[in-house]
Amino acid sequence: MTRKILILFSSLAALMTCVSCVGQRQINELAIVTAVGIENGQKPGTIRLSAQIIRPSDARGQTGAPSGGTGQPIYSALAEGQTIFDAIRNLGRFVSRRVYWAHNFLIVMQEDYARNGIEDMVDFFTRNHELRMNTRVAVTSDSPAEVISTITGLEVVPGQAVDNLFQDNEIVGQAPSSDMMNLEEAYLSRSSEPILARLTLVSRGISNKKPQEHGSLKQVELAGAAVFKEGRMVGWLSPEETRGLLFFTERLESGIEVVGCPNSGNKLSLEFRDARLKVKPSYRNERPEFRIELRAKADVVESGCGTNIAKIRPDIERALEERLKGEIEALLRKAQREYHSDVLKLADVFRNKFPAEWRKIGDRWSSAFSEARVDVAVKANVKSVVLKSEESSQ
Amino acid sequence: MQVDQGNRQLTFEARLSRNSETIDSVLGSSVDVQKREFMLCGKPDHKGICYFLDGMVDSQAIDGILRALVVLGNELNLDPASLRSADAIRTRLMYSASAKLCGDASDGVQGIVSGDTLVLVDGLEEGILVSTRGWKDRGIEEPSSENNVRGPRDGFTESIRSNTAHIRRRIKDPKLRFDSMIVGTRTKTDINIAYIEDLVKEGLVDEVTRRLGDIKIDAILESGYIEELIEDAPLSPFNTVQSTERPDKVAAALLEGRVAIFVDNTPVVLIVPTYFWQFIQAPDDYYDRYWVGSFFRIIRYVAFFISLLLPSVYVMLVSFHHEMIPTSLALTIASGREVVPFPVLLEALLMELAFELMREAGLRMPKPIGQAVSIVGSLIIGQAAVQAGLVSPFMVIVVAITGISSFAIPSYTSSLAIRLFRFPILIASGLFGLLGFATMFFALLLHALSIRSFGEPYLAPASPYRHSEQRDMVFRLPIWMMDKRPQFAQDTQREGDRQMPRPGKGKS
Repeated sequence: MTRKILILFSSLAALMTCVSCVGQRQINELAIVTAVGIENGQKPGTIRLSAQIIRPSDARGQTGAPSGGTGQPIYSALAEGQTIFDAIRNLGRFVSRRVYWAHNFLIVMQEDYARNGIEDMVDFFTRNHELRMNTRVAVTSDSPAEVISTITGLEVVPGQAVDNLFQDNEIVGQAPSSDMMNLEEAYLSRSSEPILARLTLVSRGISNKKPQEHGSLKQVELAGAAVFKEGRMVGWLSPEETRGLLFFTERLESGIEVVGCPNSGNKLSLEFRDARLKVKPSYRNERPEFRIELRAKADVVESGCGTNIAKIRPDIERALEERLKGEIEALLRKAQREYHSDVLKLADVFRNKFPAEWRKIGDRWSSAFSEARVDVAVKANVKSVVLKSEESSQ
Repeated sequence: MQVDQGNRQLTFEARLSRNSETIDSVLGSSVDVQKREFMLCGKPDHKGICYFLDGMVDSQAIDGILRALVVLGNELNLDPASLRSADAIRTRLMYSASAKLCGDASDGVQGIVSGDTLVLVDGLEEGILVSTRGWKDRGIEEPSSENNVRGPRDGFTESIRSNTAHIRRRIKDPKLRFDSMIVGTRTKTDINIAYIEDLVKEGLVDEVTRRLGDIKIDAILESGYIEELIEDAPLSPFNTVQSTERPDKVAAALLEGRVAIFVDNTPVVLIVPTYFWQFIQAPDDYYDRYWVGSFFRIIRYVAFFISLLLPSVYVMLVSFHHEMIPTSLALTIASGREVVPFPVLLEALLMELAFELMREAGLRMPKPIGQAVSIVGSLIIGQAAVQAGLVSPFMVIVVAITGISSFAIPSYTSSLAIRLFRFPILIASGLFGLLGFATMFFALLLHALSIRSFGEPYLAPASPYRHSEQRDMVFRLPIWMMDKRPQFAQDTQREGDRQMPRPGKGKS
């Protein structure tokens, strides 16, 4: 019995020396990265990586002892390397804490980098165990280092600010909520192609100290999208075209559209809701065909027409229908004719309905998609005009 | 006079002087031994002596005895010569409620030291032992360690007889039994085993009696002595015997088929067998309505897990698994820890020790100063230590919540066990992260699963799972649904059918 206990304790003691505190690292010894930018390095074939690192003592109100804060909640740094991981390791040359990626909110790629292919980026950010799959991914035509270090007016941490923009993006409805999860899903898929949101730096912030220089502060804007094909970026979608896309990829239900008044040159705002998109695939003459039906209800939220809405209702409805149809058709034109990239995920719809036919044309889907006939039908129904009834408008 | 050194067996003889010498030799010359000579029926040729201990007796009862022996015989015109046996004196002369014959001097001495009065009369080979016990008792108060809002306020006192009377008053069942034992070679402590004969788990009384009978010890000063000498898992930090100062708890336990062990000179009564979960249940659960009772019981389960695990989880997350903390929270924790010079494990141990120190100091200090300890402690630990950058504000919150949670556990003794268990889990999770946390937690769980309390699995009715007993486990179901006793009771049915109240359909 004594011998058994002795053996147990000695083996436990041996275990302790093997593993004791390995991997232990206090949370305040970490450089927590909240956003990362990737672009091409100065030398060809290199990667330049910019990281936005939190300074916790300044990112949070200090309650305890003073810790010598400089007032800047973030610290941004640049590193270059042969590969992404090489660049990350090179960050360690001047970042005094261990760089920690698990709380990363955002990956921003420069347009040139994205046009060269994102295979290494997708692989690295899914292979690494520290990185999360719910990280937002976006493309910018500006400098990603500038995008990630731009401080917004409301959030202390810029990465978090962009993450919040993504979270509420269905209110604006002009950019896809792209994250690592759906990027990898589309990247690995044989049929559909990835689509990433676009971030732009715009001078829209108003300085509190110098309000006369209105719109002088740069802000990060989330609108539009980048289209990929076979792992390379091929072009942009405008915010309007992106709205058409969101009906397909994110089941967008509501949004604002402005149409002209039928009786005057004024404008009228409509909020459509309960939008339902149906894609009906068919197969004719060795070719896929799609019929797209969009039904939406809409409310008048702002009218400058100065007349009884009930009278002009059919006109408004037609205007809204044309508007939505225009968005979807513009998107289709770009995707089919210009980029030849199925970002609408029509392939999934087609494959589910016609698995046998898919086997025949799946390999050349990109050209089949480009040639496919797509009919778009939009039905809008304007309701709720109570505030502008006949009596009140007279 | 024969003296058996082993058992000090002494017998009475027919001569009063010899008997008196015997008693004197055993009791010695203690100042509290009172010797009161009298003459039976006032006749000089019939001498007698009363022995009793000053302070242990009710002096009015002694007056009564002397009045009976000296005066009453005269008034009844009894001839002392006709009272030629102790039994005759007892039955014809004495009117004390409890008086018994005592043929053995050692029994007599035992009676005297217990507060009885020994009456010896010249020429008789027997004494009469009259119960005159009466000493200053503490009044019945609300038990300070087990408070409740609704429910009886009385608590046990140091007197075993009034303690058993508390139970008798609650359960007027002729099947309620109190078996008596005496344990402790020197203290000769009275122990009563209480049970309801037709409910108690079969064989349990014999087992309790056997375990108590096996005790060979000089002194029993508190029921804790008994608890440690009869428990099933003597090496375990878990207590497998429930202890309480509340008569309603004991009565409820007896009605479930358990056994209560009363020990003289302590207000703490032991209850066996015990489930672990009983320590988290409070009498209020049953007295308040079941919604409230269930809710607060769940709160207490939460408190139990917090007090056991919260510091360990915090240490584990902050030093190993930073990705498991939501980002905003991680930033807050990191900013608080920015200036702390210690690893979080050491910080946690320091704070836990400081907390235990304050608790212990507050407990030991005289009451007015105890308050000062808590003020100084909370100021120093809560404010100054954070401002000095020694600990992070988050750690103060964690330790404070843990401390408050451990106070929410109704049974003070088992909350102490949980406090102890906190430290191995804390150290394991601080050294090995989730791996250490899980290993230590499961080691504790397996240990708790392995022990028993008087034949009942300690974690029952959760494991082994007993369906009918779940009605009084996590939730406290309405009284009209709790119609079963625990399954070890002899008769498990405790209610009639359809006890759910239904108002009559008539107009009223």
